[in-house]
Amino acid sequence: MTATREAIALPLVFLTVALFGGLRIADGVALLPPPLFALVLAVLLLGLLVRCGALAPERLMHTSRSMLANLNGLVVMLAAFLASAQAFNVATPESGAPRVLFNLVFLILLANTIAASSDRIRVLRSLLVIFGSAFVVKFIVLSALSRPAEGIAARALQVLFEGVTLGSVTQQAFGPATGYVAFGTLMLYFFGLVLLPPAGRGGLTSTASYTTSLDTNREGNNLEE
Amino acid sequence: MAAMRDGLVRGIGLALAAGYAAFIAWLYVQVPQSAAEITGGLSASIGSYRIDAQAFDDGVQFFRRDEFAAARTAFERADPARQDARTQFYIAYSYYRQGWGRFYQDDQLFAQGLEAVNRAIARAPGGRIRVDDPGLQMRSGEELKAELEGGLRRDPSDFNPARVLRSRK
Repeated sequence: MTATREAIALPLVFLTVALFGGLRIADGVALLPPPLFALVLAVLLLGLLVRCGALAPERLMHTSRSMLANLNGLVVMLAAFLASAQAFNVATPESGAPRVLFNLVFLILLANTIAASSDRIRVLRSLLVIFGSAFVVKFIVLSALSRPAEGIAARALQVLFEGVTLGSVTQQAFGPATGYVAFGTLMLYFFGLVLLPPAGRGGLTSTASYTTSLDTNREGNNLEE
Repeated sequence: MAAMRDGLVRGIGLALAAGYAAFIAWLYVQVPQSAAEITGGLSASIGSYRIDAQAFDDGVQFFRRDEFAAARTAFERADPARQDARTQFYIAYSYYRQGWGRFYQDDQLFAQGLEAVNRAIARAPGGRIRVDDPGLQMRSGEELKAELEGGLRRDPSDFNPARVLRSRK
């Protein structure tokens, strides 16, 4: 990994995600810090990235590196953590039952992916599907249900829906710009994840590849016997 | 040579990241609503922010003639970044005077006034604002805030008939 990518590109990408992840545009502009649960999910996500080899912490911080390089590595780690928290913040509905449900689903999906010990590519694909689905549900489905309806029939249906769900599904309506910013933010976040230094290129062996090599050795020994 | 260039890039990157992170933290604390508020807030943080004195004087003239909407327009022009405590105090006062009524208060205007006086207190050094204007009966942020909060509060004293005898401050 070049010094430019580590010291400039990655921190700027992740800090930009951290900035725009909390942006909500309605009548005014609001900047929402990540909720506590998003921090927990971000820790899990970083753990998953390390486990699958998408992030090699030893390539960012190591005793063999200079102090300045280690500081750059620390900035990348912190920025990646904040960006992950804000990525969850932007993909999670703001209130009600959907918020609780989304948090629960995120937790289960992350735990499942960690347990599955997938490789880097599969984990990145899986994360793309998780965040993409959450984005579609929040900014397209829930947004359509929460937007003030036009026409009497649509308004009556909306009132009926709110009554049936006891108002626990509809969300605060944000301006369309919020969705566009959220989309850009999530894309930028994935760009940052792809740029992270992966394991197995001059660094320590990743857990997944280490497990694979152990399995191969074991199979070899069985054949010899 | 390559090592020196590498160190330079890393140093610049570290400084850039620190500055950007500080800017983001500032944005999350201040939550500016417009580009003018961002630039004004940044210049205020280094002490170089100045209001438009002519627009401020115009605002005070309008305020004294009870032309509150015009006064607020002039004050907004004088302090587009909403960083000057005195201007925000006058804006809050204009909401108070416009919303005050002998029989009832306009809650919406009082709420906007409370927002403005809170901003004025937050921007004032040490949170203490005092405006020595003989035309004002309330000259401190605390007095104005208490009056606006009192107007927004619902309690049995609202039904006291003697309330009609009180005067606007």
